[in-house]
Amino acid sequence: MIIGLILLVVLVFIVGWVFMVYNSLIQLSVRVKNAWSQIDVQLKRRHDLIPNLVETVKGYMNYEKDTLERVIKARTQAIDASSIKDKAQAENFLTQTLRSLFAVVERYPDLKANQTMLKLQDELTSTENKIAFSRQYYNDEVMRFNTRIQVAPDNIVAKMFKFSTQDFFEIEDKAERQSPQVKF
Amino acid sequence: MPFSFIEIEQKKSRLILFVFLFLIFFYFLTVWLLLLIVRNFFFASAFGNEFIFTFPPLSHTLIALAVAFLIGLLHWSVSTSNLIDKISASIDASPVDPKDNYHQYLKNIVDEVSIAIGGRHIEPYVIPTSALNAYSLVDFQDNAVIGVTEGLLARLNRSQIEAVVGHEAGHIVSGDSFNATVICSLSEIYKETVSRLGQGTREFRLRGKGGVLILLIFIVLTIMNFLNQLLNTFISRQREYRADAVSVRLTRNPLALAEALRLISQKWHGSGINGENIESIFIVSPNVRSIEEQEGLAADLFATHPPIDKRVNILLDMAHLDEKTLDENIKNMIRVSPIAKAEFKEGVSSDKKRWFVFKQDEWQGPFLLDELRVLKGFSPTDWIKIEGQDSVFEAFNDDEVNKVFGATIEDKEDSYPCPHCHTNLNELNYEGVPILKCDFCAGSFVDYSGISRIFIREDKEFSQEIVDLASSVYKTKLRYNSFSKPGTSDDWILDCPKCRKKMHRQFFVYSYPVEIDRCPSCSGIWFDKQELEVLQYLYQNKDKFLLQDKNSV
Repeated sequence: MIIGLILLVVLVFIVGWVFMVYNSLIQLSVRVKNAWSQIDVQLKRRHDLIPNLVETVKGYMNYEKDTLERVIKARTQAIDASSIKDKAQAENFLTQTLRSLFAVVERYPDLKANQTMLKLQDELTSTENKIAFSRQYYNDEVMRFNTRIQVAPDNIVAKMFKFSTQDFFEIEDKAERQSPQVKF
Repeated sequence: MPFSFIEIEQKKSRLILFVFLFLIFFYFLTVWLLLLIVRNFFFASAFGNEFIFTFPPLSHTLIALAVAFLIGLLHWSVSTSNLIDKISASIDASPVDPKDNYHQYLKNIVDEVSIAIGGRHIEPYVIPTSALNAYSLVDFQDNAVIGVTEGLLARLNRSQIEAVVGHEAGHIVSGDSFNATVICSLSEIYKETVSRLGQGTREFRLRGKGGVLILLIFIVLTIMNFLNQLLNTFISRQREYRADAVSVRLTRNPLALAEALRLISQKWHGSGINGENIESIFIVSPNVRSIEEQEGLAADLFATHPPIDKRVNILLDMAHLDEKTLDENIKNMIRVSPIAKAEFKEGVSSDKKRWFVFKQDEWQGPFLLDELRVLKGFSPTDWIKIEGQDSVFEAFNDDEVNKVFGATIEDKEDSYPCPHCHTNLNELNYEGVPILKCDFCAGSFVDYSGISRIFIREDKEFSQEIVDLASSVYKTKLRYNSFSKPGTSDDWILDCPKCRKKMHRQFFVYSYPVEIDRCPSCSGIWFDKQELEVLQYLYQNKDKFLLQDKNSV
């Protein structure tokens, strides 16, 4: 009788603990999703800016058709990518092509002084900073989540309910990895 | 770091409840002490009884408690409504102007940082002073505000501003900002009362009753200072270190924050900010008090901020750098202006449409639309042709030109006529500030709020002509000073482009004797050609001019 009571108490404790861990894991994973949607908003903003950029640049650059085409291609790829890993890769490629486009723009003083171009460049820089910050926030949340589901004893609950580690949104760009400083 | 808002909510409501109870207790103590004094000293002498010291009975104490509760509740509810508006008004801060380039730049930075803390909306504010400082506010409805001074925008570079905004965002996420805002609002009410009583005194003094009010002000001031000191003990100095840490976590750049703190502490961090009693909302206390730079128990209790050098050293440790590198970095600091250089292009842009007019048996022109408007004897039946085209037609056939005859520009509400030329003023940005400029006479109209912004920003490069003009104006000032005050022409000639009322011609200030026209209703100022630049140059180089004076004497 007494042993049965003790077992019951222990069982209640264990079930209570499982509930607690499960709930906090759910909370964390919701926050990871929320952080991802933050990135998505900023990525979409950048995709929307690119057609305007291409329109503005087109008139000035007759000999740089392939740079422009690469930007357009990179944008399409980025929009089509579905998994987080693919997206990260496509976005990195887009960042690189945009950077080479701006390097080319430097050679056209008229284009550089164009008001629309200045505004677009401004907005793109700001959007890129926002992407960087939202990526940072997302990665922090993923790190919290991944650590939580791998440490004992929470990993037991995580395995029971099939929580799996989330992918980081990584950057391949070496220049960006070195300095977080933002230049205008 | 607690990013979970639920934990924070719980923590902050506990502290706020504590502050509320403290407020009630404070009033209870005040009322009870008053009761004690009145009972023992005034009554005793009034009834001629022998002096026996007695405590008030329980029933009186309970009444005192009820009164204290009522006063406390009133105080609380009055000061915690419209928190952000009230405090912003008291330090003269206002939301960003979307047309201003510098303000747009600040908005971008604040947006970026708000994404870094998880997408919480933060409203950027600006204080129009040349001081360097920043603050944050959060009210009961969870509206968050981060404000910086114009001086900070004009003097720090982007990563430094970002670090400062990150620090303020740290206060917002940790809930410190909410506590500080509520506590500050509690002492704000006294400041208001004192200033109102002060206005009252002037009237009363005329009737010989000033004494009573002065006594009242004195009492209120004493209570206020005492309460404020006590309230400050609720604000821990440690929260500044924590916010610095959050900023580093968000921007990953401890050096930028160290640079920013060093620069803020070196330049005047308080001038032009009415920050008395609300120091705790700022990144660096706007009032210079020796206690802020001390350590120890008393300082920990009553100071609102930790010593700046200590903060800088902690940040430098994070960056693995020493102070020498910091000073060198500051000396070689590169600051890229948020204003594109192209804006400074002056003169008429060439891509506008122009027309030739057939007058006195020959083609005259080409004229811009605004020039046609003031062209003498130009009528709808005149023959015109567009520049670069061959077809000739009568003026009334061209829709654009026809509008010139339709209505005089003064009749339209959305246009601003130049007070001299009566043509439409162009909206453009000067030093990032939206102004109205005339293409012909090169005069410009600046709103009241824009003037201080222009004087604080230092992006404009002045031509030799402006420098010479400014020096000669400065010499005139010396002449005026040595003889008599200059007489202004004191005329009301020009019309304000916005209000259409006569503007008052006067000196900008007596120390810079440049004549300008000020609108009495909107306080905007019309500057004739070069006057704005000359005044800006004088203001920004006043130290240099003073030095010249000294050397010449």
